[in-house]
Amino acid sequence: MLALAACAPQAPEDTGGGNPEAGSDTLTIATTTDVVNYNPLIGNSRSDYWITNLMYPHLLSIADDGSKEPALATKWGYVDDTTGFYEIRDDFTWSDGEPLTAEDVAYTMNAVKQDAPSGTFYGQMANFESAEAVSDTRVEVTLSKPDSSIIDEIGFWGNVVPKHVFEPAGSVAEFANDGAGGWVSAGPYLLTDVQVGQSYTMERVDDYPLVEGGTPIPAKVVYRVFPDVNTEILALQSGEVDVIANALPPAQVEQLRNTDGIEVAEVPGLGYAHMVYNMDNPDLAKLEVRQALSQAADYETIRDVVLQGQAVSTGSSPLMPVLSAYYDDSITEYEFDTDKARELMEKAGYTAGPDGMFPVTFRLLYSLQDSVTSQWVQLVKDSAAEAGIAIELQGLERNTYLAKTDEGDYDIYAGNFAIMDDPVTNFTLAYLPGGAINYTHVDDPELNDLIAQASVTNDTDEKVSIMREAAKIVHDKVYDNIMYTQNLYMAYSSDWDGFIVKPSELLSIVNPESVASAHKAE
Amino acid sequence: MSFALFIVRRLGRGVLTIWFAVTVTFLLLRLLPGDPALAVASPNMTDEARAGLLAQYGLDKPLPVQYVLYMGQLLQGNLGTSFTQSIPVLDVLLQRLPWTLLLTATALILTIAIGIPLGVLAASSKGRFWDKLVQIVGVTGQSLFVPSVGIVLLFVFGLNLGWFPIGGAYDQDVYGLEWYGSVLSHLVLPAISLTLIQLGSYVLTMRATLIDALGDDYITLARANGMPYRRILWKHALRNALLPATTLIGLQLGYLVGGAVLTETVFAYPGIGRGIYEAVTQLDFPVLQGAFLLLAATVVVANMLTDIAYGFLDPRVKAS
Repeated sequence: MLALAACAPQAPEDTGGGNPEAGSDTLTIATTTDVVNYNPLIGNSRSDYWITNLMYPHLLSIADDGSKEPALATKWGYVDDTTGFYEIRDDFTWSDGEPLTAEDVAYTMNAVKQDAPSGTFYGQMANFESAEAVSDTRVEVTLSKPDSSIIDEIGFWGNVVPKHVFEPAGSVAEFANDGAGGWVSAGPYLLTDVQVGQSYTMERVDDYPLVEGGTPIPAKVVYRVFPDVNTEILALQSGEVDVIANALPPAQVEQLRNTDGIEVAEVPGLGYAHMVYNMDNPDLAKLEVRQALSQAADYETIRDVVLQGQAVSTGSSPLMPVLSAYYDDSITEYEFDTDKARELMEKAGYTAGPDGMFPVTFRLLYSLQDSVTSQWVQLVKDSAAEAGIAIELQGLERNTYLAKTDEGDYDIYAGNFAIMDDPVTNFTLAYLPGGAINYTHVDDPELNDLIAQASVTNDTDEKVSIMREAAKIVHDKVYDNIMYTQNLYMAYSSDWDGFIVKPSELLSIVNPESVASAHKAE
Repeated sequence: MSFALFIVRRLGRGVLTIWFAVTVTFLLLRLLPGDPALAVASPNMTDEARAGLLAQYGLDKPLPVQYVLYMGQLLQGNLGTSFTQSIPVLDVLLQRLPWTLLLTATALILTIAIGIPLGVLAASSKGRFWDKLVQIVGVTGQSLFVPSVGIVLLFVFGLNLGWFPIGGAYDQDVYGLEWYGSVLSHLVLPAISLTLIQLGSYVLTMRATLIDALGDDYITLARANGMPYRRILWKHALRNALLPATTLIGLQLGYLVGGAVLTETVFAYPGIGRGIYEAVTQLDFPVLQGAFLLLAATVVVANMLTDIAYGFLDPRVKAS
């Protein structure tokens, strides 16, 4: 059966209030890192993403509930099982005067598939075969096999780049796009000056259809680099910068909320923090042991003390509450009960010694650069010891941590994902054998079947039902232990107003619509 | 030994030192447990894409081949291309080097300019109030931690008093003389911060060597001959006491660069120290190799200049 699931177009969010005219103000934004790469198809750091996003549009954006909403594309969906499509706006123009057409979109997708740049975009293209511009405003995508998520995902994750600039430069995996001849933008701003290590100046592009009134309000946007978050906050307090792009550390939120002249915006997180039990370890392959561990962590205390109440429980489910269509409140959080954890260990065949400890020790791997995780793993270790389970903490520098994670060299993995926006994609990567982030090394035929079904189901209700069933298996068999979704807090000067906050730290307060709509407070 | 031969020998030793530093850096980076492809790629990268990335970086070749290719590049003056930024390493470094040189040179000059008089003051009032005060300041200075000093300076003089800007190297949209003024105002707090952490050891060394020098026979003789104390102190004792202090400056250059990494981070100063930190987090081998080569060369050259200065201060060095 051909599944026709074109998404209904929606108008961009109303910014509310009046419509201030384009002015001469400069919006100064603080970030903690330099731009590493100006090619949005390669770029991975947050500053890369924030700055290139102001020049290279995405087909889709995201709503507070994780659903996709229009950006450059007005309609999108499937023609049949292996053909998807995007209808794009006809009023976008590159800053050098060339129109942005479906040719640019098709070129970008085909080039990414062919050259395999290291960014997130390519990672979404497993089932992509080719794209073709069938008219100036319509792109059709041929899939190698049915995939009900790919049109949403590549529309959201991929930027569109100008074919007339990128094609002559050769492989998109190697093109630095360092502005040797100036940059070209179809976003609200154009990068005009780079002072490495210090600032990135962007000037307004007069015609940006996604902002109310058609012209961005701030005349200039300057990104300034403050590697130390404490210095960044001082710069905001002193008025040297107007907005901080990165999320505030939990400990700073309350203090800044109570600081005159500073506003703090709450941004829904789309990711989660979790612990994963490596089932290649024979002890952890036993369900009772994983259940015991899941009952030996005090999640509420972790959220209250370490996260200072700025995180919400997901019910220990990978379907977070923020994904409201998928969230299933019948799945509840693992209960913190060390006595039950002991019973489960005994049921698994272990006997505690005279010191009350079972004869197992699990090595928990985490990144020392992740300050929040570094704090809560200590609580996890202490509460597990109460249940007689010894946990040895192994905090490592980030690159070593990534290498060990990749090798599966851990018993318990602790970490987090920034954006888990599409459940089917995430389950595919996290729970199917060979999945890039299948850190549990799980291979459960029942779960595999459900994920396979969901990945070819275009009927939303049916897909939700399948994913809830899959999430229940993940929860009950403790294939993943989701600790919380962290809410994000962004600070800005009360001299400014009009921001349009979107979920996740990648979009947050500095997404293109938000920056283009910001204006001086009255 | 002629002065020219003295220089040639120092140069030869410098080249050997740089080759050694380059080789050790090359090997150490490849011994790190991380993988440059993992450091830059998204978690959902396929194995084929990862292998492609490693091939693009040239890391798929055997280690000896990589080393020969790298040394061949270096001999042609090519430092390679940044893994993450896809631009020549030399460009990456030259964008940042001037700021680090400005910061460290200013801190070095301030250290010497403040350190010598303080050392003289302490030595000439040995055991009395000023000596004790200088010692307390010196020992405290040695235990200072750059980020803490930096944040306190920024909080007091940047945020509360508003005398200096919070971060960066200069303001946007300023030109001509105003630009130099802006550079200077941005330089003050990081330079003070870096000076404060260097000053302690310099002052204490200066004090100790000067006290030693003041106890020498030739000083006693000069005093017995009725030479004014001030002249003895500044002209005779200080010149001899400067020798170990000069050596210390050469040795401190390495620490100065290390201190610059932290100082540049706290003060958002766009120098090479921060570039190194970022390259480490991204395992950008070519940038790290280039940066360490540059730093090794800087330290070697500075030490050569110290040796030459030493030769002027003490002719026995040249003679030996």
